[in-house]
Amino acid sequence: MAESSADETGGENIPRFEPNYLNSQVIHVESFRKLWLDALPPDLYSYETNPEEVEDAKLAELLELPIETLNELKDICSVNSLRSHPDDSPVDQNVVPSDPKLACLRLRKRRQDYRETLVRDTIGRHENYSNELESAHKGLLPEDPTSVIPEGEIILSFNIIYPVIFDRFKHVRAHQTLQVLGSQKLTELRDAICCVGDLQVFGEFSNIPDATPQYISKDHFKSAFFYFEGVFYNDMRYPECRDISETIREWAKTHGFPEYKTAKMEDTTFYELRMKIGYPYYYCHQGDCEHVMVLTDIRLIHPDDCRDRTLYPLLTHKHRVITRKCCVCHLYISRWITTNDRLAPMDPCLFCDKCFRMFHYDAKGNKLYDFQAYVYVDPGVFN
Amino acid sequence: MFQMHKFEEPLKTDLEELLGRFQRTNSVRYEDFSSIWRDMHFDEIFYGTKNQLEQSEFSRMALSAATPYFLPPYSFQIRVGGLYMLYALYHTQRSFPPRRIRMALKDWGDVQAFTQDALNSQHHDVLYILHQLLTIKAFRFTAMQVPLTFSRDQKPVIPEAEVVAEQSSRPKKLVTTEMLEEMANIHEHYKQLKTSVSAKHPEASLNLVRQNLVPKLFNAVVDFSTWQNSQMAGDKDGQPASYEEEPSTSSSLNQQMESSKRAELLASIKSRSYGQVVEVTKSRRHRQGEVCGDTTAGPCEDPGPQLDPARVSLLRRRRRQLNSLKCRTLSCLNETGKQTFLHTFYTVLCLGV
Ligand SMILES: [Zn+2]
Ligand SMILES: [Zn+2]
Repeated sequence: MAESSADETGGENIPRFEPNYLNSQVIHVESFRKLWLDALPPDLYSYETNPEEVEDAKLAELLELPIETLNELKDICSVNSLRSHPDDSPVDQNVVPSDPKLACLRLRKRRQDYRETLVRDTIGRHENYSNELESAHKGLLPEDPTSVIPEGEIILSFNIIYPVIFDRFKHVRAHQTLQVLGSQKLTELRDAICCVGDLQVFGEFSNIPDATPQYISKDHFKSAFFYFEGVFYNDMRYPECRDISETIREWAKTHGFPEYKTAKMEDTTFYELRMKIGYPYYYCHQGDCEHVMVLTDIRLIHPDDCRDRTLYPLLTHKHRVITRKCCVCHLYISRWITTNDRLAPMDPCLFCDKCFRMFHYDAKGNKLYDFQAYVYVDPGVFN
Repeated sequence: MFQMHKFEEPLKTDLEELLGRFQRTNSVRYEDFSSIWRDMHFDEIFYGTKNQLEQSEFSRMALSAATPYFLPPYSFQIRVGGLYMLYALYHTQRSFPPRRIRMALKDWGDVQAFTQDALNSQHHDVLYILHQLLTIKAFRFTAMQVPLTFSRDQKPVIPEAEVVAEQSSRPKKLVTTEMLEEMANIHEHYKQLKTSVSAKHPEASLNLVRQNLVPKLFNAVVDFSTWQNSQMAGDKDGQPASYEEEPSTSSSLNQQMESSKRAELLASIKSRSYGQVVEVTKSRRHRQGEVCGDTTAGPCEDPGPQLDPARVSLLRRRRRQLNSLKCRTLSCLNETGKQTFLHTFYTVLCLGV
């Protein structure tokens, strides 16, 4: 983006709430990073932690204290000062203490007592799973030292919300969270977003069920765009890519909207963007598969973060989608969807591969009656 | 793990209780803080969290709830308490790896200024604690204090301190001298128009014009701020004084009006720790009627439709005990037919000023 000058100073890139207290004002990502790096001594954002003695000596010097006095201070402020139970009387930290005074504990105790009345603990298995994703890469170092992300890099977190396909699911707002580096190209994020829309196979295959092509829609329709702050960023990497934002821009022109700009996704890094944190933006691919996306967080990389550049964009949260099972066996994930299928219990109807073939074809593979069959890609394939 | 957000209010209650007790020591010594912490068995707040996810999520909430007290507009002593709370919560959390404390860019300058203050006053324990947290990389340097999702259930993130500060100054900000002059002009113009119309149509009356609109508005704002200051002063002493004492004399009122923003904000910390306000409002209903009736000002933290509805609902939630007071007062004032602050504002809005 031409107008994003890196020499911007002053408060305009310090993120603050807009008056709605829901999202920040527009900030320029690179300038934001620069403001943090200028404000912090490198020690504070480096991956390394100085040995305690070094830090103690530094502090003693700063405070003009003899090291003995500092040691007394350390003693007073030690973590032991926060233990209400002496070391020789250990308590079970997994249980809420009886007769708690703290409001949080009273609430947790009510829950604990309730949980004990349940036969089966059904709480939050899939949520555990989503958390594993986040901690799996904690502090991970790459084998190839050239892939180490430099200190002071920016990590942006995006929530990409699945399109609302079924009206009854519209309150769920299922999403995936991806962390991306400031220095990465927009196309790197685009390639990391998994959506079943990219995996569709086009065509009717009831006569040739063994001949489903290997090509999926991602291979056929490569155009896509992000929309951030008045700019459509188009994926133009391949000759067959088209500017699919054109229709929208043309429409907007005739409806009194300010003129929108375009830029190339593959030419733009996240550092160059101007965006609001917490504000809904847009990702569109396959012509009409539309995802709301929200930049939820921007921050400096921390020693906790995965430091292997090649693993970004990093998936840190994924909503587990309920998979749709075959209507015959109710066991396997559906692979086929049929219509005008007079022997099927519903229209359209879902089948796993095995049941589909047993139900619709004889032993030699001949079609038994007339129906249409399409390849079904379950949204749960990413689970 | 479901409905972790239900811990938000209890967390606030607990943290403010801890902070309230620390504040009453009038000390910034870590020893005083840690002895209160141990006395309250505050490290137990993490006990009974079942799995890694619940531990992590509760740590996140606790650190996030404590962070604002480390920042302006709270006073130095409260901020020291806030820092100690962060340190204590950070080191007693059960989440592993530990949840980090989010530090927003806009707040960093304030932390630096705080450090300088502590250095100038040689508060070695304060400096040690902060230094310790920084060297172990307990902070993440972020854009905003919390991640923002724009989801259906994301509530606006308004710092409580700001709510209190704005609450006190909004009417004053809105009704400025220029605004009053402008309104007087428009009012005069409107009256003339009205008169010229009535001349042509004698049946139309001038009753639609409120007499003395501008002076009444001005008085309403002054009364409101007087009333509000007496409320604040009551809270400030750590007692529901405004309900127990006779209405303050004008000289003490002046002092109270000068009571700094700082005092008001301290009151905001205490207001929740001293739950007796609710009980007192029940037992001393008649007194409130007197106080409010005398000042003619609506004791409303929510002076009408010009406030952002989201914020109003937040205020309602936070200061429920005052709302019932407001309702009673309004109905009382309406009975006597007195002009209220709210009425004036509705009039102003109707005139389109
Ligand atoms: Zn899609
Ligand atoms: Zn089957």
